Amino acid sequence: MSTGVVSRRFPRLQKTMRSWAGGWMRVGTQTQFYGDTIRAIGAAFVHYRIEIVRLIAQLGLGTGALAVVGGTVVIVGFLTLTTGALVAVQGYNQFAQVGTEALTGFASAYFNVRLIAPLTAGIALAATIGAGATAQLGAMRINEEIDALEVMGIRAVAYLASTRVIAGIVVVGPLYSVAMLMSFLAARFGTTAIYGQSTGVYDHYFNTFLNPTDMVWSFVLAVSMASVIMLVHTYYGFTASGGPAGVGEAVGRAVRASLVVSAVVVLLLSLAVYGQSGNFNLSG
Amino acid sequence: MIRSDAVVKPMRSIGGFFAMSLDTLVQIPRKPFAWREFLYQSWFVARVSLLPTLMLALPFTVLLVFTFNILLIEFGAADYSGTGAAYGTVTQLGPIVTVLVVAGAGATSMCADLGARTIREELDALRVMGIDPIQALVVPRVLAATFVAVMLSSVVILVGITGGFFFSVFVQHVTPGAFVGGMTIITGLADVIISLIKAGLFGLAAGLIACYKGISVGGGPAGVGNAVNETVVYTFVALFAINILASTVAVQATL
Repeated sequence: MSTGVVSRRFPRLQKTMRSWAGGWMRVGTQTQFYGDTIRAIGAAFVHYRIEIVRLIAQLGLGTGALAVVGGTVVIVGFLTLTTGALVAVQGYNQFAQVGTEALTGFASAYFNVRLIAPLTAGIALAATIGAGATAQLGAMRINEEIDALEVMGIRAVAYLASTRVIAGIVVVGPLYSVAMLMSFLAARFGTTAIYGQSTGVYDHYFNTFLNPTDMVWSFVLAVSMASVIMLVHTYYGFTASGGPAGVGEAVGRAVRASLVVSAVVVLLLSLAVYGQSGNFNLSG
Repeated sequence: MIRSDAVVKPMRSIGGFFAMSLDTLVQIPRKPFAWREFLYQSWFVARVSLLPTLMLALPFTVLLVFTFNILLIEFGAADYSGTGAAYGTVTQLGPIVTVLVVAGAGATSMCADLGARTIREELDALRVMGIDPIQALVVPRVLAATFVAVMLSSVVILVGITGGFFFSVFVQHVTPGAFVGGMTIITGLADVIISLIKAGLFGLAAGLIACYKGISVGGGPAGVGNAVNETVVYTFVALFAINILASTVAVQATL
């Protein structure tokens, strides 16, 4: 005998409200995870120093098939190399249209530092150390290794997430130096060796307009990007579910989220740092 | 002694990738074309990519316009800010942002989906039933990624220029008429067409890499995770490599 179930009132409204509440719930749990991770950074420094060192080596050089092609360093270097060369290709040719191709060195010193290198490095970091972290943590979650860690009394957030955030911040310094050097070298090589500008002209305008303060801010951008990227990626890895395909989807969602978040972080920081005046003086 | 494994394995994957790409290109005109799978995949890629693409396009173009306008205002040429916004968005940001998201969202899901099927030996089952997985699964996915990348890149360009317009006009006090008038000074039809071709090439590369990584996966959940990670890295590398070549050709063609 079947008993009738009273249908709920306003089913559509309830469904909408529940999905709304679910969205807010997700925001809340993410924020809580980020809070936990940041709070556990101290504990990670005290208890899991060896793990941090191991992760720094792993993030810097990459694992598995990525290590074969040279690891994170080579990938970051390659991506910024191509975007630096873009400055030469588009900058030189567009400046040559109005007869001011001498200013290509200036374009390299200005656009690479403020715009191109931070954005490209953010993309490269999300793809390499970020996606790698999500894939690792997601596989651990699916294999119930994270639960096993907690059963053994190891603080999983501190041991897995906080250590990765620290390692990411440590690794980004040298990585971003490589990125900067590569983008400068590529722009210089393209302009002087391929388009045939004299190196003296290029270096003069490059050195005149290369602003050390801007460089420092550029590094600040890179470090803040690395920290938000690692936070986002560890969250998605930590909460992966749904078997092998679930790990892959978590990586995809994490890459999407971290690209958007890091772009927004770069934008807001740039607006805050350079502001209305722009901190740029043509006449020195 | 050099481990021959370390040398042979990447070579073998490169060879496998080209073999699969060739198979895919040969199979594209062959009937029956998997329409249903193609439409479903296109819808899927568009659905997961649309919102992140727009959310990524806005900060990128606003940052470009902001940096460029600082320079122009210093020169006293703020009226040309539309020129820079249009040129940067059409030639670089449009195709790149699109494919970052198509690769990050669509290609990863494709790779995860195909990888899970490979692990569950569904692809072998298809082969046993006489269905070619390349024709049934890979071709529609690759075409869907290409198609959606082209379609999305035009949306990105529109949204980007609109965002740049509002930022320039309302935050940096550029004259709206001058912004709109300056847009077409160095950006013409040829640039737009090349930009769409670029987006199509990027989408094709992303789809091929994702499918290859998906059908050649091995080693359980960790294997799928690594395959997806490699998909992201390789598509981004391929994207930037293709971009510099295509931009060089485009500059020669349009100037």
